[in-house]
Amino acid sequence: MVAAPFGYQRVSSFDEAVQALHERGEDAKVIAGGQSLVPMLNLRVARPEWLIDINPVGAGPIEEHGGSLGLPALTRHRAIEESEVVRRRCPILAEAAAHVGNVRTRTRGTLGGSLAHADPAGELPCVAVALGAEITVQGPDGARQVAAGDLLVSYFTTTLAADEVVAEVRVPTLGQRSGWSFLELSRRSSDWMVVGVAALVELDAEGAVTAASAAVGGVAERPWLVPAEVLLELFGEAPEQALLARVAERAAAMVDPDDDVHASGAYRQRVAAVLVRRALAEAAARATGNGSGAP
Amino acid sequence: MAETEVPARQEAYRVVGQSPSHHDFVDKVEGSLLYAADWQLPGLLHGKVVRAEVPCARIAGMEVSAARALPGVVAVLTAADVPWNQVLERPTGGLGELAVAMPVLAADRVRYQGEPIALIAAVTAQIAEQAAELIDVEYDDLPGVFDPERALEPGAPLVHDQGNLLVSWIIARGDAAAALAAADVVVEGEYRTQRVEHAYLEPEAGVGWVDTSGVITLRVSTQVIEHAPTIATILGLPQSKLRVISTYMGGGFGGKEDMTVEPYLALLVWRTRRPVRMVWERQESIMASTKRHPFILRYRTGVQRDGSIVAQEVDIVGDAGAYPYLSPRVLFAACATASGPYRVPNVHHRARAVFTNNAPTSAFRGFGAMQVTFGYEQQMDRVADRLGLTPQAVRERNFLDKGDTIPTGERLDTAVAAGQCLRRALAALGEPARPSGPGRRIGRGFAVNMQPYGRTVWFHDRASCWISLEADGSLLLRSGITDLGAGQAASLAQIASEVLGVPLGEIGVHIGDSQLTPPAGGTFATRQLYMSGNAALAAARALRAGLLPVAAELLGAVPDDLVFEDGMVRERDTGAGRGIRLAELAAACQQRSVPTAHLGTWYAGTGTFDPATGQGASFPDYTFGAHAADVEVDTETGQVRVLGYAAAHDVGRAINPLRVEGQIQGGAYQGLGYALGEEIVVDDGQVASTLLASYLLPNAADLPDVRVIVVESGEGKGPFGARGIGEPPIGNPAATIANAVAAATGVRVTQLPITPERLLAALDAAAGDAR
Amino acid sequence: MSDQSKQRVTLTVNGEHREAWVFPHESLLDVLRDVLGHYEVRYGCGEGVCGTCTVLVDGEPVSGCLLLAVQADGCSLVTVRGLAPAGDLHPLQACFLRNGAAQCGFCTPGMLLTAWALLQHDPRPSRERIRRELVGNLCRCTGYSKILDAVEEHAAEAAERAGGHG
Repeated sequence: MVAAPFGYQRVSSFDEAVQALHERGEDAKVIAGGQSLVPMLNLRVARPEWLIDINPVGAGPIEEHGGSLGLPALTRHRAIEESEVVRRRCPILAEAAAHVGNVRTRTRGTLGGSLAHADPAGELPCVAVALGAEITVQGPDGARQVAAGDLLVSYFTTTLAADEVVAEVRVPTLGQRSGWSFLELSRRSSDWMVVGVAALVELDAEGAVTAASAAVGGVAERPWLVPAEVLLELFGEAPEQALLARVAERAAAMVDPDDDVHASGAYRQRVAAVLVRRALAEAAARATGNGSGAP
Repeated sequence: MAETEVPARQEAYRVVGQSPSHHDFVDKVEGSLLYAADWQLPGLLHGKVVRAEVPCARIAGMEVSAARALPGVVAVLTAADVPWNQVLERPTGGLGELAVAMPVLAADRVRYQGEPIALIAAVTAQIAEQAAELIDVEYDDLPGVFDPERALEPGAPLVHDQGNLLVSWIIARGDAAAALAAADVVVEGEYRTQRVEHAYLEPEAGVGWVDTSGVITLRVSTQVIEHAPTIATILGLPQSKLRVISTYMGGGFGGKEDMTVEPYLALLVWRTRRPVRMVWERQESIMASTKRHPFILRYRTGVQRDGSIVAQEVDIVGDAGAYPYLSPRVLFAACATASGPYRVPNVHHRARAVFTNNAPTSAFRGFGAMQVTFGYEQQMDRVADRLGLTPQAVRERNFLDKGDTIPTGERLDTAVAAGQCLRRALAALGEPARPSGPGRRIGRGFAVNMQPYGRTVWFHDRASCWISLEADGSLLLRSGITDLGAGQAASLAQIASEVLGVPLGEIGVHIGDSQLTPPAGGTFATRQLYMSGNAALAAARALRAGLLPVAAELLGAVPDDLVFEDGMVRERDTGAGRGIRLAELAAACQQRSVPTAHLGTWYAGTGTFDPATGQGASFPDYTFGAHAADVEVDTETGQVRVLGYAAAHDVGRAINPLRVEGQIQGGAYQGLGYALGEEIVVDDGQVASTLLASYLLPNAADLPDVRVIVVESGEGKGPFGARGIGEPPIGNPAATIANAVAAATGVRVTQLPITPERLLAALDAAAGDAR
Repeated sequence: MSDQSKQRVTLTVNGEHREAWVFPHESLLDVLRDVLGHYEVRYGCGEGVCGTCTVLVDGEPVSGCLLLAVQADGCSLVTVRGLAPAGDLHPLQACFLRNGAAQCGFCTPGMLLTAWALLQHDPRPSRERIRRELVGNLCRCTGYSKILDAVEEHAAEAAERAGGHG
């Protein structure tokens, strides 16, 4: 109920944050939204010596750059959910953000924080991987770009160094004849997913698949990208139930999820097959529907 | 047998049957109500319970000196510091009942994960936490037993030296074995219910201090202030030196019926002589507070081809956890009601409470009579299935009626509206929906229950209520009642208002103080409306009877012509005509030395029960009800979506209709959580997750509104013919959902909760059988 | 400032300027209660899932148990007691009372604040929308129906008042 004491430092730029982290070392943690970190402080399972508060850095507007959107790291989930430009140009991201926790979680929680936290059952990590998001990481030697799939490596583990912070996230905008789907199976609304799937499908004028990607959350130590060779079977074909089912079964057979208090690994694997099939179907239907398929 | 429709009530009431707001609800909506943790005193210390981390061990050593030396720590107490370190429940008379004392602080043995072993008082909560971390305990692990059936096996590790079987109960009537042998069909079923947590939004909390007379005063969130003498004994103090004040609780549900913070708070206050506040962490409460008994239920139901039940043989094993608490009483209630609201001429029920090294189990809304509904209502649907009859036909053939004999040998002496409740619940669902997609199946199910209200009759229950007419014409009520948030206090005011015609805004109710209010017994067993309601009614009527002749004399009228309304006494039907204000009447009584204060005491009917024969008096009366639901099952994921839900109960008379509806909707939701998701998972005595986030109680988004049907037979034993409604609605949902799922899929889930994974496994098994 | 000592926090609570000296590790919840006397903001879980510590920070609902008091420096907070002047009831509160939407009352402040904040964004939400918005405010007593009834009734009445009478 009460956190163990720590030192507290407010920073108003990413450079300042990096410097503070560099000085304090492993004993310092960044606090952004705090929705994942503070419960751990309250339960006294996390005991950083220092908290570096980057909230004052703030978030500028979400910007469109040609074929992508740039979202500052401090963008709150609620802002993503409600953003007109995200709903129009990358609706899968808005949908995923809407599934994060409850309204209070989304008021404070941030995109950068979600990715840095790297919960393998997190909605935003899952979508980031499906989209092939590019993350700008700022460190003492400057900024570098890393793909979501390379950033998120294991349970609550990223390739961020102790003195690096997420500064910005770029996601591709949805093209014409593209469809998306974000499906989550959870025990209750607003709970963490048991299994979740983010899927994107692109069709040609005849309705045959020209591109597809799917990431599954909750089945591995990080969001699991369905391998290209599995999805290859879809290319050039109409996205029919039987074909989608086969692809989904093949994908699910490749994961070996752990058991936990909410579901066994076997159940997760089974549900993964169902959700991958349904998500691909929904994405394909949206692609056929109205082009970019607003949520 | 068809049962007659109960007639609509004839009488007209002014306040009873309305839904006015009482002051505590205004305070709740304003945010000004002070709950147990909201009490500040100068020099307040923070109290913390230090708990065992392992489920079964000898305490080889405990080092507290580092904790004691930490600046800001005012006291660290261990077992040696407790004057009388044991709590012993009153014997219930069950078969072979063991007398097992529970230590307040464990001395040399730990029997469950979370058992209290030390207490800390410090100037801040942070320092108390730090001190707890400095306490060094050396455990020698002992073999534990975590399954009650295993605990019954010879050679199982003993939780207590006296043995693992805490108590047995038998209810027997006729010759069940012979009747089963002769029955046309016997349906067998095994059902398993899970460990669940009350999850009141307000964690266990209280503040204690020493008052100006040296009385240790505890202001705590508790359902029972009558623990005060026990706490005094623990401290080695006379009872007059220990006072318990109950606050309006942020939920109780039976989880605050036993002592929670009281003994620990009292010890710290007594030792430090300073005010102390103790608030349990949610995760601490989930790990260690008392839970509902998981039951293993085995049924053998013998029926004739026409659907009539001839015999019911039931065996119940309940996991009592590491200490007795109220287990004997819970298992008795389960035993008494195990056959449900049906006529069964030959009955053998056996219920056993068994110790394990899990956290103790005790009272939880429904109290044993709740879990058995999952058994008997699935049996009834199975019977229907076997005989090719409809589930409804089987119920109607067997429903109890007024005048019938129940398994304990008692005759029901109030109306049984079970049939009406069932018909109306089903009707309320309307037309079933169509499946929303491929692989989805729709099904409708229902469950009828019978829940006792009022305490077990041989405990000689009673409740008192004091009423006084003040000089200004207002009323003052004093009652030891505690308020769970269901308007316990408000109901007393409403009853007094009905009898004496005083507007609710002019009635003060003071509750829950072991030294200042007359004892009302605790708020549990759905007993308060029946007991304290009747006590308040008795007191109000006594007051009215005393005032009436004085009023008649002053008005020169015949007493029978006078009515009490709008704070006055006047002649009937004269409207604004001749009358006397209650303030004037109070003054007149004062002059004539006529008392204006009365203590009303209500004694519940008594009786005796013979544990050996399993026959005799059990409960004063029962509330009958039926729930019905439409569900959609996603056969690919096993998820169950409740599309529609209706709940009908005969409440006798709805004193406050809005509150009655609220109880039914809230109880049904708690039951639906039990049916679909709630479970405290324990592996070898270790709780798998203590996070509230992991405990799947219903939120606002996933379940439909509960459509409530209130039936009023007018025949309850509470005031104005009311029946208790606090507990009944939690009993039906689990069987309702199980029956609906079976209707949808042909597959029956006999273990709770009905998780998607469990249902999928059952569907797979059925498909496997079919091949 | 960058160390473990107490820091000065100034904020507005229900329109009133307040000040407190707090350690960095102290939550907004604990400071609101024990330092500033706002007991209507409650502890239920410390995890951000139950909603009893809901407080509006700059108009939006936030878990008081997940915000450090030092993070609230310069903010404007509203608790349930700020919905109406002392002794008065906001019409939303009156609807809760009329509909029996409070039983034990422990979840009520959180429900009221979250519903009130929703209505600022969406004055006529559907019942489904209200359900979803309240998903993070747990209630163990009511089964939620009367809470939803109260919010819907208030939204309808407020709309009528705003639209005037025909």
